[in-house]
Amino acid sequence: MMNKKIAFRTLGCRLNQYETDAIASSFHKHQYEIVDFEQDADVYVINTCTVTNQGDQKSRQEINKALKKGKDPVVLVTGCMVNNYKEKLDNFNGVSYFIENSHKKSIFNVIDAHYKGETLSPADLQPDIFGFEPAEKTFHTRSMIKIQDGCDNFCTFCIVPKVRGRATSRPVEDIKDNIRKVLDFGYKEVVMTGVNIGRYNFEGTNFEQLVEEILEIPGDFRVRISSIEPEGFGDRLFKLFQHPKLTPHLHLCLQSGSDKILLKMRRMYNLKTFLGMTEKLKSRYPDFNLTTDIIVGFPGESEEEFQKSCKVARDVGFSHIHTFKYSVRNGTRAARMDEQIPEKIKNERSRIIREISIENKLKYQQSLIGQDQRVLVEKINSGGIARGYGEHYVPLEFKTNLKETNQFADVRPYDIRKGKNPILLGRQL
Amino acid sequence: MASFSVQKPRKRNKEKAYNSVLNYQPHNTLKVLGRRDLTESAYVLRLERKNIKFMAGQHISLGKEDDNDTREYSLYSGENDDYLEVLIKEVEDGLVSKHLKHSKAGDLVKFDGPVGYFLINEEDRKLKKFLFIASGTGIAPFHSFMRSYPDLDFKILHGVRYKREAYERDDYHEDKIILCTSRDETGDYHGRVTDYLKENPVDKNTQVYLCGNCEMIHDAYDILLDQGLPADNLHSEVYF
Repeated sequence: MMNKKIAFRTLGCRLNQYETDAIASSFHKHQYEIVDFEQDADVYVINTCTVTNQGDQKSRQEINKALKKGKDPVVLVTGCMVNNYKEKLDNFNGVSYFIENSHKKSIFNVIDAHYKGETLSPADLQPDIFGFEPAEKTFHTRSMIKIQDGCDNFCTFCIVPKVRGRATSRPVEDIKDNIRKVLDFGYKEVVMTGVNIGRYNFEGTNFEQLVEEILEIPGDFRVRISSIEPEGFGDRLFKLFQHPKLTPHLHLCLQSGSDKILLKMRRMYNLKTFLGMTEKLKSRYPDFNLTTDIIVGFPGESEEEFQKSCKVARDVGFSHIHTFKYSVRNGTRAARMDEQIPEKIKNERSRIIREISIENKLKYQQSLIGQDQRVLVEKINSGGIARGYGEHYVPLEFKTNLKETNQFADVRPYDIRKGKNPILLGRQL
Repeated sequence: MASFSVQKPRKRNKEKAYNSVLNYQPHNTLKVLGRRDLTESAYVLRLERKNIKFMAGQHISLGKEDDNDTREYSLYSGENDDYLEVLIKEVEDGLVSKHLKHSKAGDLVKFDGPVGYFLINEEDRKLKKFLFIASGTGIAPFHSFMRSYPDLDFKILHGVRYKREAYERDDYHEDKIILCTSRDETGDYHGRVTDYLKENPVDKNTQVYLCGNCEMIHDAYDILLDQGLPADNLHSEVYF
C-alpha cells in the first residue's frame, strides 16, 4: 500500500514552528510521506496564526488553498486562529477537523483514527501543551525547544493570552531530556521557544537558572535565546552570554520608543529600563546582535511618538526590526481605544521603520567583516556555495567543500552582497 | 518496517461545517457574596474565595456568566481573607461594570485568573520602603498589599477629585495615606498627586508603585526620574 502523503503549512511564531516540527515528526515516524504544501497530499495541516489581521488573512488563504486541492483531502486546521474564532469556524465549509492549541499534540491520533473510520471526541483526547515528542526530522536545521507556553502580561494590543492561555512552564528535566535527545539526533543548535520565555518559572527555577542548566549539558552545540520580552529576568542573564555555547543575539521586543505608548500598551518596562538593558549588553559585548519588534500605528500614536520609536531604532542600531502595523484584535483593550490610526499612516510609518532596519542591518553586517564566524550550514547548492547563520544570527554565504549541511564551518566575512536581504560573503577557514 | 495500515476514509459531507474535535472548555465561575457601594459609581464586589490562591497586586478577569466580554480588576482583598474582593468603578456605557453592579448575592460571574506581576517580593517586603501612588480605583492593589503584609513600610498617595472618593479611608492608618483632591480642598493636599510629588521629592531608595490612569503614571514617571529615582525602582499597573 502506498504511504499516505501529508503536507504542512505553518504561519506565525517559532512556537508554531516547533509544534509543526513535532507533529510532522510523529507522522514521519508512522511512515507518512511529508510533501510540499503545493503538492497533492492526502492530508493538509494548517497551523494558523491570529496575532495580526495579516496572520488571519494568510491563514485563511492557506486553508482555502488546501480546500481547493483536487483529491478530497483531509484538511486539519489548528493553531491560534482556531482558538480565537472557535464560535465562527463554520464559515470554512469542508474543513475536516479544527484542533485547539491545547490538543495539538494529538493531531496524529486524530488523523490515525480518521483513517480507521473513527472520529475522536474531545473526551478521547487529553489536553497537553508540552507532550510533544522530540522531533528527529524537522523542517529546520536548528531544533526549537518549547520551554513555556501562554502569557499573563495582557498587553493591550495582544490576543495571545486569550488564544494561548495562562503562562505555564515546562518542567526543567523534560526540557533537558528534550535537548539531550535532539543532540543525539544530531542537532547542533537549539532555540529556546515559548510565548514569554523570560517569565519561565518551574518550581522555583527561573529563566536564568534554566539557561545555566542547559549550558551545562555536554556536547558540541550552541543555544539561542531568540525572542524575549524585556522584563522578568535580571542581570544574571547578561553575564551568561560569556558562555561560549550561548549565542550573542537577542530579539528584545521594544514595541515603541515612547513611554506614553508603552504605558498604553501595558508593557511592563519603560524606555529607560529597556535602554539600560541594551547598553549593558553592548558595553559588555560590543558585537552583540540586537533585533526587535516595533508596532506602528498603535491607537493615539502621534507623529512625535512615532519619531521616538525611530530614534530608539537608530540609536540602539537593531540589526533587524520586525515591523508590525497595529491591527485591531477583538477582545483586547486596545480595540476599545479611541484615536485609531488610519491605514495610510500605518503603511508610511511601517515603510520608514523598514528603511531604518535595512540601514542598521548593513551597518551591523559591515561591523562583522573580518570577524570570524562559526556558521551552522543550512544549505549547499550544486556549485558548492553554502549558506547558514553565524553565532550572531547573521546570514553568511561562502564557497565550501563540505558535502553535508548541519555542520559548523569557520568563516571569515570579507564583503556584503547588498539588496533586499543583504548577506555577508565569507571565506571558509 | 510495516507500512502504515489504513482503512478507506469515510466520505465527508461537504455541506456539514466540520467534523470537529474542538475542546470547548467550560469557563470558571464564582458566586457573588455581596456588594458595598462606596460612591454613586464605585463599589466593592465580594466573591467566594473557593481555593483560589493569589498574591497581592494580581488581578482577575470578571464578566457575565454567559458572555465573552470580561474586564480585569485588581484584587482589593488580602491574601489571607476568606473571600475575594474587587473595587470597581461603574463606567458609563460599560458592559461589564454595569452588569456586575446589578449582580446579587448568589449570582454567578465568569472568572479567570488571578494573574499579574505587580508584586512585591518577599525580601523587599522586609527591607525596603514603599511609596504607593494611586489615582481613583487604582488604590485597590495597595489595599491588598496593606491587608496582606501588615509590617510593610509604606505610604499611599491617593489622587481623587473629591474627598468622598477616598474609598474606605478608615481602613488605612492616618499616617499611611495622603489624600490629594484636585477639585476641592477637602483632602490632605489640594492638587494632583503629581503636584504633590513635585513639592515633596521622593527619596532615591524608595520603591515606587503606581496604579491608575495612563496620564498620571506617565507624568509621575517623568517627575520621579527627574528626581533621580532609578527606573528599576518604578513599577506600574495601568488602568483604562
